Amino acid sequence: MDIDDILREVDPTFHAVPQEKRSLQELTRAWIAERSAPELLPWPADGLFERVNGSIKRQIEKVEEMTGDMDPKTNFALIVIQTELERFKYLIRSYLRARISKIDKHTLHYLSTDALRSRLSEMELAYATRHQALLHNHYLSSFLSSFPSGLQNLNDSAGINMVESPDLESAVFIRLLKDTLVEGRGVDSDGAMDGRESDIVILRWADAKPLVENGSAELV
Amino acid sequence: MPMYGDQGNKLVQHAKRMQNLAHLPPYQTELVRAVTREVRDLDKDVASLLEPFQGSFDPSADQSTACTLLVNHLSMRRNKRCLLAYHRTRTDKLEELVWNGSDVLDLAGQQAGGVANGAAATVDSGASSSLSPQEEDYVRQFGDLLAAYKGQWTDIDLTGSLEPPRDLFIDVRVLKDAGEIQTEYGAINLTKNSQFYVRQGDVERLIAQGYLQKLG
Repeated sequence: MDIDDILREVDPTFHAVPQEKRSLQELTRAWIAERSAPELLPWPADGLFERVNGSIKRQIEKVEEMTGDMDPKTNFALIVIQTELERFKYLIRSYLRARISKIDKHTLHYLSTDALRSRLSEMELAYATRHQALLHNHYLSSFLSSFPSGLQNLNDSAGINMVESPDLESAVFIRLLKDTLVEGRGVDSDGAMDGRESDIVILRWADAKPLVENGSAELV
Repeated sequence: MPMYGDQGNKLVQHAKRMQNLAHLPPYQTELVRAVTREVRDLDKDVASLLEPFQGSFDPSADQSTACTLLVNHLSMRRNKRCLLAYHRTRTDKLEELVWNGSDVLDLAGQQAGGVANGAAATVDSGASSSLSPQEEDYVRQFGDLLAAYKGQWTDIDLTGSLEPPRDLFIDVRVLKDAGEIQTEYGAINLTKNSQFYVRQGDVERLIAQGYLQKLG
């Protein structure tokens, strides 16, 4: 039994509204992927978070409505809904925190090109820009301002590259969603295998990325 | 004779040691200053070495000078890197504290006191904080930044627990008087040593701040 099943069990809207269930699945998938991938993944573009936030708001309203009721039956339903709500909130919180910690770690890297910047949500972009400015200011006032002017930048690459970037070669586990050829680079020699649906494979993220992006596999 | 980069290396060792400490050791003002001075001196050396050439320096004609220049160049960058690493490790630590919701500036003062009371009993330069003034500014600004980012997620407490919620209600014991709190089941008066069965979401902050202890 994985988190999907647990969440589905307590989700009272499971049988009635497939839209909410889909959002939940998307959220869970995004959460798992974000936590396993070594680099920041693109922010979900299709308004997933607007939908999820909407359903959280509705549930909170429902809870407030039901609170006044002293009927034991409502009380039980209330507990179920509140538990669901807490878990929903946890998923979002954990997802956002996973992203923030990656952004914090390699801020300059993610701000360096437009392609990388587009992975961040607007809020995250504002946060990252401001955070980097704060850091730079802090370095400046602590020691950088007394450096020779040619050395005051944080992104110089002469001699030693000062911009750290995430390690794209670290290992991830993926589950194949359809039969596909899996190719991976090894230390001594490269390997390839005919993967079947629901196979679980461990390989470098750089090799797994194309499979995940075209939907042939998901991170676990 | 001290070598280029010795001071920088010390800073990195400080940073490395810091990673495993629960608290933040005092800021190495002197060491930071020394490394910065080394960079400035090296830069001056480079300038004076290059001066006679009037901008027409040919590395292959004068290899010994070229080598000196290269070593100076790399040493400066290495020192910069060490300084960055040292400050970044500290700010990471500070940010972690801010995320956990502890009052960092207050805590730094308390720590100085705590060390003095402890077995070590070294009077830690009075009540002065282990943060540099710049770091105190940074903590304040980062706190504001975090509050601003959090404020955009109205229904979700981003600084809440990262443990998956298991139960809606939990048993807690009150460690410090926390006054009265309002819950949807009425007001609870949290007096020391009493025990309650409450909704986790209502008391998460108080647990993080050390007023309550989660049981079971």
